[in-house]
Amino acid sequence: MIRWSIKSIFTEGMSMLASVCGVAFSFLLVMFFSAMFSGESDRITAYPSKVNADVWVMQKGVANMHMAMSQLWDWKEDRVRAIDGVAAVESILYLNAVFNAGGRDWFTYIVGLTGRTEYSGPWSMHSGKRIPENGEVVIPEVLSRLTDMNIGDSVNIVDRQFTIVGLSAETFSMANSIVFVSYADLAEIMSSQGSVSYLMVRADESVAPAELVKRIGDQLDKVNVLTQDVFINNDHHMAMQMGVEIIAMMSVIGSALAVLIVGFTSHALISRRQRELAIAKALGFRNRDIYMSVLVLTMILTLSGFLLSILFTTLLFPLINQAVPAVSLKFTLESTLDTAVIAIMIAALAALWPARQVVKVDPLTVFHG
Amino acid sequence: MNMFFNLIIKRFKTEPVRTLFVVVAIASVISVVLILEGFREGIYQQIRHMVISRGADVIVSQAGIKNMIASRSVLPQLSRMDVEEISGVIDAHPITTLPVIYNKDNRRTPVFILVFDTLGGPEVIEKGRSIKESREIVIDKSLSTIYGLQPGDDFIVSDFNFKVAGISKDTAAFFAPFAFATYDDLIDLYFESDIVGDLSTLPLLSFLLVKIEAGYEAEFIASEIESRIPAADAWLPNMLAENDVEMSRSMLGAVFQLMIIIAYIISVLVISLIMFSSIQNRKYELAVFKAMGFSFFRLASAVVVEVLLITLLAMPVASIMASVFSVIIHEAAPVYLLLVTEPGPLLRTLVASLSFALFGALLSFKSIAALEPVMAFRS
Repeated sequence: MIRWSIKSIFTEGMSMLASVCGVAFSFLLVMFFSAMFSGESDRITAYPSKVNADVWVMQKGVANMHMAMSQLWDWKEDRVRAIDGVAAVESILYLNAVFNAGGRDWFTYIVGLTGRTEYSGPWSMHSGKRIPENGEVVIPEVLSRLTDMNIGDSVNIVDRQFTIVGLSAETFSMANSIVFVSYADLAEIMSSQGSVSYLMVRADESVAPAELVKRIGDQLDKVNVLTQDVFINNDHHMAMQMGVEIIAMMSVIGSALAVLIVGFTSHALISRRQRELAIAKALGFRNRDIYMSVLVLTMILTLSGFLLSILFTTLLFPLINQAVPAVSLKFTLESTLDTAVIAIMIAALAALWPARQVVKVDPLTVFHG
Repeated sequence: MNMFFNLIIKRFKTEPVRTLFVVVAIASVISVVLILEGFREGIYQQIRHMVISRGADVIVSQAGIKNMIASRSVLPQLSRMDVEEISGVIDAHPITTLPVIYNKDNRRTPVFILVFDTLGGPEVIEKGRSIKESREIVIDKSLSTIYGLQPGDDFIVSDFNFKVAGISKDTAAFFAPFAFATYDDLIDLYFESDIVGDLSTLPLLSFLLVKIEAGYEAEFIASEIESRIPAADAWLPNMLAENDVEMSRSMLGAVFQLMIIIAYIISVLVISLIMFSSIQNRKYELAVFKAMGFSFFRLASAVVVEVLLITLLAMPVASIMASVFSVIIHEAAPVYLLLVTEPGPLLRTLVASLSFALFGALLSFKSIAALEPVMAFRS
């Protein structure tokens, strides 16, 4: 009977192909959401990851960067620099703001760079100047492509006009692109002279980051000190958690669609082949064998759809990332495994209805005209 | 064509279960499109609502700031007095927005705290009451759902302990819930958490909610404010709301478009699958028509009519399915609002679904063309 299932798939080529494609796109919808949140979560942590400090110092009560606001007195930077085991300290002023370019609004991280910019500035440049001076701005290269803005053009941040002097690479994100300006400009926009948002500390070889966290925490009041790993993980975790419900929702919807498609295909196939099934029953095949053949059929359809969806994601996601730079899709093994589990459940669920039909098949049908 | 139409109706009547199944199958696919469209509309609506429901006739922001949600605006302290001196202005109520990350049970959620004095607080309190005592806060329903918070519970941000006074409804936007606190508590929060020593560097006045006297035009007052206070911009609430919607369109438009395209591809595949199966089941019937001299064009037209009819029948079912799903989602995760029955998206989905249904029907034409009239004479 299992051979019958496999043979049926090949004899009903077009219908099976449409079904497998339908299942694949249902899974693709699920994977798309997961990949989008995963991709955006990575982009959200691009700045702290690339700065690659060992320790981050911020306002008490703040533990991340995305959608957060942190302010510290700037003298705390000198205090940290004097601590034993500190190799370097750089600071930034930071603001979430709407950036207007090319007639469109973009939600951005605006980073105000202070005097020391060895690692707090753009880590990779597409073209132009890396460190902006007063009245200058470095914007992501992708943003310049999307808005048709180039070096020498003017953009507005809040009520100020800035001249684009550089295009940075790897700094664009749908949720928060990174724009670099001078500390003085941002402090004026924020009315925040005398304060910084984050201190990024690099440890010398004599001390482990965790030990340096303790030393800074012991010597400075009212600050939060975290290792790079914890700081990045906080942002990444939060971004993913923001999408948990929506990913779950789309998983349910996509899975329901896949069940429907597989169930319908199996049902249609069995309806058309009732006489064959009746012959099988008349020949003495037990219901159990026929059930198994239906399950195998749904399993093949579902798993083929699943494999096709992986092929789609492998081929399509890089193309989408290229063609639609506003969207960042990241294909993860975790989401694939989640979808695989869903696929197996779908196959079993989708088999229920056609299996019920099989039980109803009367062996006498074979003798009908 | 009338004969085919009658035949389709007759088939619907004689095979009600199959018809119902086909309608539900197509409705399911359309409902996915409606859910995605509703999700997008919901995001825009939440943003609009958060701005408009603050209750102002005119909203004043820092010069150059044209967004209210997720934007930092800092107005000079004296601007309130300057605005209130303009004739036609009754009051200028201050508000401040403060983004914080709420952290509990190893889960972090970005929250916008909206600090208000006399206007701008929550519009509808679903549970509990408004703020009456010091250190009280009203939180959005989504925070209550995620963290199981109830009136009377602690709500700790930046090491400052608020007590939840009430749970507000429809106070989330941009994937983030809002919470409402008073100015006295904001000052206490700044002092106790010792964020920085100088209070003047912290946002204390982000926006002014201006109420105007009857007989004055809001546009006139807005232009008066802008001409007299260079450090400020004045907006009609719906204009400010539309700016926020535009910003979210820039951010999310491409993503939603991609997802909707995927959903439409699924609908084409499902419809073609259904029609292919339907033609396979009726191939003897169609062969009889061919034997009777009906052209391919007439048979194909009949399939098109059938598909369009089924899609039209599926549309209300899809709306109901999407509505039920949107209620379930909103109850489970109130931070999301799905507006699945907005006329614009509904009409757009209907037109697109009919077009894609036609495309799905086209894929089945090959099967009709391949039918041999001689098949009519086989058993």
